[in-house]
Amino acid sequence: MNEYKLKDMIVGLTQSFSVDITNEMMDLFLRLSGDNNPLHIQREFAKGMGFSDRVVYGMLTSSFYSTLAGVYLPGKYCLLTGIDVSFHKPVYVGDRLTITGEIEFISESTGQVEMKARILNQKNEKVSKSKIKFSLLE
Amino acid sequence: MSMLEKLQPIFREIFDDESIIITKQTTANDIEDWDSLTHINLIVAIEKHFNIKFALGELQSLQNVGEMLALIEEKVKKNE
Repeated sequence: MNEYKLKDMIVGLTQSFSVDITNEMMDLFLRLSGDNNPLHIQREFAKGMGFSDRVVYGMLTSSFYSTLAGVYLPGKYCLLTGIDVSFHKPVYVGDRLTITGEIEFISESTGQVEMKARILNQKNEKVSKSKIKFSLLE
Repeated sequence: MSMLEKLQPIFREIFDDESIIITKQTTANDIEDWDSLTHINLIVAIEKHFNIKFALGELQSLQNVGEMLALIEEKVKKNE
């Protein structure tokens, strides 16, 4: 786990990690959230709606933004204060996602930092992007 | 456009309330959602919009929007 503090923050600082999406993650997210929409749990329904398989929960993929901030950038001293997310392409079980964050703005007077982040799949397609705001615990 | 008029849309966006009308006498007590987190968001939005940086501790003594305006104007002038 990284341990960046406010003094270490510089615009352009970047961190990245990858994760493989599994059936187990989908099952766990279903249990956790109770979101049993058929698009996420029934392959035939998803195919009937024009997708190639059941669609991975957008909020499951977004949970990796939490990991990005809480583990990688800034890591240990992160206090997440806001996140805006948009989804651009469907994610499927078996996809390998790469989550990347880059520091974009630092407010020294308030201690708030803004990071732009994105998730690419194994084909280098952007599946999601976000703007993440956090403070640093001192 | 006056500085107050430039600030107005920033306040409306941060507090997500199109009906907000700020004056120089407006304080945090006049806006229901003005808590510590929205205060930070407001300051950051002002810093970005006017391309200025407040110093640590510079904001704590501000009593109302008018005093905030004066500080913003001073910083914008220094940038010119």
